Amino acid sequence: MPPGYDPSRRRRTTPAARGRDARHEDGPGHTARRADGRGGGMTTPDVRARGLAAPLAGWLPEQRWFAGKHRTVRTVTPVSCVALVETEPLLDHVVVEVAYAAGAPDRYQLLLGYRRQLPEKLQHVRIGAVDDLVAYAGLWDDVLAEELLRLLDSGAVRGGLRFRPEAGAAIPRGEPSRVVDVEQSNTSVVYDESAILKLFRRLTPGRNPDVELNRALRRAGSEHVAELLGEVEGELLGDTVSYAMVSAYAANSAEGWAMATASVRDLFAEGDLRADEVGGDFAGEAERLGEAIAAVHADLADTLGSTELDRAGYAELSTGMIGRLSDAVGVVPELAPHADALRTEFAAVAGLTDACPVQRIHGDLHLGQVLRTPTSWLVIDFEGEPVKPLAERLLPDSPLRDVAGMLRSFDYAAEHLLVGDTADDHQLEFRAQEWAARNRKAFCTGYAGAARVDPMRHAALLRAYELDKAVYEVVYEATHRPAWRSIPLRSIARMVAAGS
Amino acid sequence: MSETVVRPVPDEHEGSHVTADGQVTHPQPADYRSARSLPTDPHWFKRAVFYEVLVRAFNDSTADGCGDLRGLTAKLDYLSWLGVDCLWLPPFYASPLRDGGYDISDFYQVLPEFGTVEDFVLLLDEAHKRGIRVITDLVMNHTSEAHPWFQESRRNPDGEYSDYYVWSDADERYPEARIIFVDTEESNWTYDPVRRQFYWHRFFSHQPDLNYDNPRVQEEMLSVLRFWLDLGIDGFRLDAVPYLFERDDTNCENLPETHAFLRSVRKVVEDEYPGRVLLAEANQWPTDVVEYFGDPDVGGDECHMAFHFPLMPRIFMAVRRESRFPISEIMQQTPAIPSGCQWGIFLRNHDELTLEMVTDDERDYMYGEYAKDPRMRANIGIRRRLAPLLDNDRNQLELFTAMLLSLPGSPILYYGDEIGMGDNIWLGDRDAVRTPMQWTPDRNAGFSQANPGRLYLPPIMDAIYGYQTINVESQLNSSASLLHWTRRMIEVRKRHPAFALGDFHDLGGSNPSVLSYLREYKGHADPADEDSPEIHDVVLCVNNLSRFPQPIELNLRQWEGWVPVELSGLVPFPPVGELPYLLTLPGHGFFWFQISARDEGT
Ligand SMILES: Nc1ncnc2c1ncn2[C@@H]1O[C@H](COP(=O)(O)OP(=O)(O)OP(=O)(O)O)[C@@H](O)[C@H]1O
Ligand SMILES: [Mg+2]
Repeated sequence: MPPGYDPSRRRRTTPAARGRDARHEDGPGHTARRADGRGGGMTTPDVRARGLAAPLAGWLPEQRWFAGKHRTVRTVTPVSCVALVETEPLLDHVVVEVAYAAGAPDRYQLLLGYRRQLPEKLQHVRIGAVDDLVAYAGLWDDVLAEELLRLLDSGAVRGGLRFRPEAGAAIPRGEPSRVVDVEQSNTSVVYDESAILKLFRRLTPGRNPDVELNRALRRAGSEHVAELLGEVEGELLGDTVSYAMVSAYAANSAEGWAMATASVRDLFAEGDLRADEVGGDFAGEAERLGEAIAAVHADLADTLGSTELDRAGYAELSTGMIGRLSDAVGVVPELAPHADALRTEFAAVAGLTDACPVQRIHGDLHLGQVLRTPTSWLVIDFEGEPVKPLAERLLPDSPLRDVAGMLRSFDYAAEHLLVGDTADDHQLEFRAQEWAARNRKAFCTGYAGAARVDPMRHAALLRAYELDKAVYEVVYEATHRPAWRSIPLRSIARMVAAGS
Repeated sequence: MSETVVRPVPDEHEGSHVTADGQVTHPQPADYRSARSLPTDPHWFKRAVFYEVLVRAFNDSTADGCGDLRGLTAKLDYLSWLGVDCLWLPPFYASPLRDGGYDISDFYQVLPEFGTVEDFVLLLDEAHKRGIRVITDLVMNHTSEAHPWFQESRRNPDGEYSDYYVWSDADERYPEARIIFVDTEESNWTYDPVRRQFYWHRFFSHQPDLNYDNPRVQEEMLSVLRFWLDLGIDGFRLDAVPYLFERDDTNCENLPETHAFLRSVRKVVEDEYPGRVLLAEANQWPTDVVEYFGDPDVGGDECHMAFHFPLMPRIFMAVRRESRFPISEIMQQTPAIPSGCQWGIFLRNHDELTLEMVTDDERDYMYGEYAKDPRMRANIGIRRRLAPLLDNDRNQLELFTAMLLSLPGSPILYYGDEIGMGDNIWLGDRDAVRTPMQWTPDRNAGFSQANPGRLYLPPIMDAIYGYQTINVESQLNSSASLLHWTRRMIEVRKRHPAFALGDFHDLGGSNPSVLSYLREYKGHADPADEDSPEIHDVVLCVNNLSRFPQPIELNLRQWEGWVPVELSGLVPFPPVGELPYLLTLPGHGFFWFQISARDEGT
């Protein structure tokens, strides 16, 4: 749930480090002990999963996608076990319920591979042994990753899991696969250059908006999403859940964050040139990005409907912002000096009367959620704000929330290189703000040109959304990355000063 | 050592003549001896490194201040040492020189200050002796107004030449045809007071368009072609091909009639002169330019080669923006070409850096970045040489050259860029980039023995790019020079058929500042020879477009277990594993690797 414009979360381990990390409890190639003298093929998924409960309790908290890292895990209980592949290597789909010492339990989805002998290259994803089988993270196994696409291709139904290819989609087959090695709240597997499968790790009841919105946009003919190829969904203890989605992979693409920060770096190296004078100017890209986001919003409104914010809507928005602010001030005292100004600002939202549309939006938009391809900008990851409960993420919201998210991201891109800069370089700080201002403006220009709503004409609401987001960022940074909290804090100070 | 030779007195019979009754007669190939020929190779141009050389600017053998054909002939050893396979000479025909020789007044005569047809045959012969081919421009669309055809045409509206040009009583026809030289021309029609009619011209008003609807004009131009081909020339760059025909209600570009005529030209070459090449100059988007290759089902039946214009400004833009996307984008928009064809790619040439194939935004950007002084701009381009465009930064010069030598297409070097020559933006027109070749630190840069005041243009003399600093002689003496580096890279390129013949695959990658691609060739070592051995050559090129060091992780899964061997030093890198392949590059650095099967060794 970090803000996506955090570069460090995308840091990968090097291949060498990965090799050393591998845990070799039995030594490579050793066969697990036979407990009962029977072959693993005779057991069932449930039996296997139960046998793994203890190793899983240790393994889960080490996974990147495991959100409960700072909580104490009490028990790990399989609540659903389905055999997907029944010849070795076996593949089981397992949902575990993780109970903590305190608080509500979580449900996580696992794909467990089983082999009698684990090849060297899979040792690093070994989980533990059950009977004569070694269990491991199945997605890392080429053979099993391919099985998933085979199941999708054939529209298979296994237990409560339905593999559903999109109508007319060509599911790639026989491609080598690799697990995307970045910090992520889910796990993605890339099939060479053709497809990417995203396994939703933490399961909550209900359809995942990522699937739903991608499908809607694709049907609307949007050029700004990767083609949805299929999904895996099903019933889990009486609820419908989304398990995974498969989309076309944009092989030649780069994240907006990487593009934007390359531009900032170029600017900083110039010293005395303005943001519009340097070779690495990003404004053209920012403007086209604005156009792309506007097009996505228009398509979402057309296919899934839109209404307008009414008095009650504004009031509710205002209450939400004030509530989050109060919580935040309690956690980060440095917010206190701005609290009054912010509260006034948020309170004013209740009195707004501009006709502003509300519709389905992205919900967690920032430079890490957009990919530049040779032909256009793509928007990915429509899961919405991860901290919010699913039901809330499905509610219509103002597209200005997305615009505000992107504007905040430009600020982050401009400022993040200055974090920890003890020299307190005014020149660079000035350049950074100039860069942010230039690209924020270009983004809004592009957006306004292609959208039905001009962000500039809802300045007060846009500001409130930005400040609301910045407040969220302060809390996030204070908890996870204290050195960084200066970025949103300074933005708040600047905005508050400019507003008064 | 004196390179001065006495120029043979031009034969008064050289060239075309007009008889008393208004008949224009042309010389025959049999009037001259022909150059020795090279073995017929239908694919040579796909592998060739081209070198554009201005006869006027290269070497003066007559001490008259102007380079000439014999001077160029004397420098063939240098070009052969550099690794050049083919010279491209802009027009050297008789001309009043109001458009750099593209205004031809006699297709059958060499511009007297360059020498004679015999001198040209000598150049061809000596070049072929060294395995070097020679092509030149053929301007098909128009002639100079001084051409006897035009003179006869305007004089005698009923005579034999009356329909050699496009005449009209009014200046209103073909309104959709754009005006190309917007700086100087107001209309595509100009009134001729002699014939009292308007004539059609797509370029300058002193360059009337030939009338290709007249079959005799078509025959005449084929005869011109045959004349030079019989003497041994290896091909033509066909200048301004899109404009040959005119039709109502069209923009008069790329018409089907034009393509039909090009097919008939190609057929002459194919039937009578196999192995000679036609190179189309059509400054258009690649998707439109491919039309000039002709029918892909027969491997192409119009031009063998065409310039890829939009790539060049994109390379400049990508490096300035530190983003691969300007290049990736244009490469993605570049369609496949017929099997018998090849792109010609370049960084600079004798024209300005053309910005026609970029959007308005991009043009402003390029002006802002590369032409800070208004004098650096011309027409719709930038009149600068490579080195000054890149602030004389050796790393960037190498990066640009490495991309030129590894992107799909046959590279065309511009004379002097191999030593990093500068330009002189104070010279008029496009002369900024046409100054004398800098051979030595001696008088006139070793280009000419003439009195310095007589030189057609002064050599570059500033502190950075002046001939005292930048010249062939001193760079020959230093193995670390740009000249030696360029030569080594050409050599490496030639060792790997993948550079010339391979498919292009953009590898992408999460770092937008790095452009990586694979070039892969699988087939006969000589694609024209079924008996030549089967080879599989794979080259990986990784370019850091940023000034800062950059990491890149490449998806090379397909090559798991193979070993990248760096091509300049043949150092094997760690084999490709299952995980993305990690490389780090210095600022503006690049790598060329051969991807070799593990057991091949190095
Ligand atoms: N269609 C695609 N083509 C290319 N790359 C993609 C595609 N979809 C996702 N990616 C890459 O995979 C990464 C993870 O994707 P995504 O953001 O959907 O996963 P996530 O688990 O929701 O991440 P987060 O934890 O940030 O929410 C992205 O940063 C992006 O670089
Ligand atoms: Mg995400």
